[in-house]
Amino acid sequence: MTSITLRERSRSAARTVLMELDATMILLFLVMSAGLFAGVWRLFTGLGASTNLNDGFGWGLWIGFDFSLIAFSGAGFTMAFVGHVLGLKRFHNAMRVGVLTGLLGYVGVLFLLILDLGRWDRFYSFMINWNIHSPLFEICWCVLLYSMVLMFENLPQVLEGIGRHKLAHVIHKALMPIVILGVTLSSLHQSTLGTLYLAMPHRLHAFWYTPLLPLQFFTSSIMVGLSVAVMAYLLATSIRKMDADAKVVNGLALGAAGAGLVYAALKIGDVIASGEIAAIMANEPMANLWKGEVLLGVIVPLILLLIPRLRRSQRNVVLATSLFALGVLFNRFNATLFAQRSPKGYDYVASSLEWVSTIGVLAGVALVWYLAVKYLPILQEKHTG
Amino acid sequence: MTTKQTCKEISRRDFLRLSAAAAGAAVFMGPASAVPLFAESDGAGNVDVNSLPATLFDVSRCVGCRSCEEACVLAKDRHPTAEDWEKLSANRYSFIDEVEVEPRPRWVQKQCMHCLEPACVAACTVGALKKTPEGVVVIDKAKCFGCRYCQYACPFNVPAYDWADPFGIVHKCDFCIENQRMGEPIACVAACPTGALDFGTRGEMLALAHNRIKANPRIYVDHVYGEFEVGGTRRLYISDVNMSMLGLRNLPHDAVPPKTEAVMGKTPVIAAGVAGVATAIYALVGRRNEKRSIDVEESQS
Repeated sequence: MTSITLRERSRSAARTVLMELDATMILLFLVMSAGLFAGVWRLFTGLGASTNLNDGFGWGLWIGFDFSLIAFSGAGFTMAFVGHVLGLKRFHNAMRVGVLTGLLGYVGVLFLLILDLGRWDRFYSFMINWNIHSPLFEICWCVLLYSMVLMFENLPQVLEGIGRHKLAHVIHKALMPIVILGVTLSSLHQSTLGTLYLAMPHRLHAFWYTPLLPLQFFTSSIMVGLSVAVMAYLLATSIRKMDADAKVVNGLALGAAGAGLVYAALKIGDVIASGEIAAIMANEPMANLWKGEVLLGVIVPLILLLIPRLRRSQRNVVLATSLFALGVLFNRFNATLFAQRSPKGYDYVASSLEWVSTIGVLAGVALVWYLAVKYLPILQEKHTG
Repeated sequence: MTTKQTCKEISRRDFLRLSAAAAGAAVFMGPASAVPLFAESDGAGNVDVNSLPATLFDVSRCVGCRSCEEACVLAKDRHPTAEDWEKLSANRYSFIDEVEVEPRPRWVQKQCMHCLEPACVAACTVGALKKTPEGVVVIDKAKCFGCRYCQYACPFNVPAYDWADPFGIVHKCDFCIENQRMGEPIACVAACPTGALDFGTRGEMLALAHNRIKANPRIYVDHVYGEFEVGGTRRLYISDVNMSMLGLRNLPHDAVPPKTEAVMGKTPVIAAGVAGVATAIYALVGRRNEKRSIDVEESQS
């Protein structure tokens, strides 16, 4: 009985998708396909043949986007915290969009990591070969486990989509321990991404290198996670032609600003305490890079969000959250690439294959996100307790 | 309504039990963080790092014949191409760096420094980089999956990735550990015709270095490079010109691994703390919020 209805349902769903193919989908699909081709090419030709990475710049575009994308996907754990742990039902819809965005973000992260890994065929090595002292070991495990957590957090929405409401309800009820696990795993690896750089005092520029790195990475992941959640929620409601709840947008933006304030204090307080602030005031490339990152990516959005008159305009909220995201992207790229002191005789400009594959992965997850928002009951008209 | 409540009741109890179990597991895992970084020497505390092998490279004695380079390539069966000239790579674990100094150039051997507290070993995601009981830093080629974090952790830019291999891993000097274990000389030292390279225990090499400096204070710079740099290395250098002119970076004396370990060692505590705080927030705030929103919905309907 059920199988027939299911089959019919999926058939009609497939028909709907085909009928409603729109320009966005086609564009994302084409970009994703190009990226897929580039990615497969890389996997079988090797890093030397396909990238401009070298022994002076072992990490490039992929890792820069990877570490940024992990921070952006903080939308998952921050929204699970708001929706489940704080139990704020008003944020129910935004939470469902947030955990979807988080899951797809991590899927993108996994794809980029595989592209970057030399022995990608041996990706499981960290599962059998343990080094509990290694930040990257911890990050690998957390990303793996947290991706599973995100799948669970998205399961009720998928089950509702295929009409298994009872099962969805049961899973929803049992979700709390998994949510706590997810928040814990996220707090661990978001901060450990900062710890990662503590192993590079001889490479990372002093403006960025600080024992506070784990805390900076953690707070900025909350800041950008909530920002991405705001943008994803606004985008999803507009795709579904629904009204975004202004109080939800406002609340999340304020949350992002709160985390942003702590992050700003950790960034600026650190350079004041270390006395580097004087050098940062100078007109010198590294100093300007730091000032650009903090002013554009932290201070300006904070002003936009913390002055009530400015915050009232939704355009300003979108601008501010985009700037937070840009600031974190900037920060992760500075830490991995621009503020790294690389050995003499090496330089790095990402190859076109690196760009195409990166954008392809991003387009792929964006496509799945778009389809999910459109065809799954991610957004609900009326909240069901 | 009642069934719904019971269902909720059970899941909440289960949930609290689960979080208690998680906290317990985290506490139990605590001792794991006490696993020392480098068990074979520093962890046990009773192995004298200076009794283990080291080399001394005397810059003033090197004439740049590159015999050591050639010997290394042969011993390790590497096949360097023109691209591997004057740099470390997956095809060259050791090379002679020519540095322009007036009135004559100097030559410096560059290879893995075999740090006493190797940053790469602490950083290695899969524990492929390890310190042997002899204090030598080696890489397990069956474990490495080519993440290249070691390249960033190494203060000397030593680990080299095999870019030409579609399934590449990281390569570096292994101090000819097999030769050492069989009591044979290591390749580069055996090949040196001018006495620029000496091999012995680290204690002997340090004594030799300081004696040479003391005997010829007007020739040598009073600096044994590697004695203290990043916690000390097993490849030591003395020179008649400043180390920084030779591309031997001015590095602090503190080792790198404790910097990450300060945070990594607290992982179980952080995990238990976050889980505990989140659980408490749910118990104190979340449940009340959930209840309130259900009440609101009920009063609306």
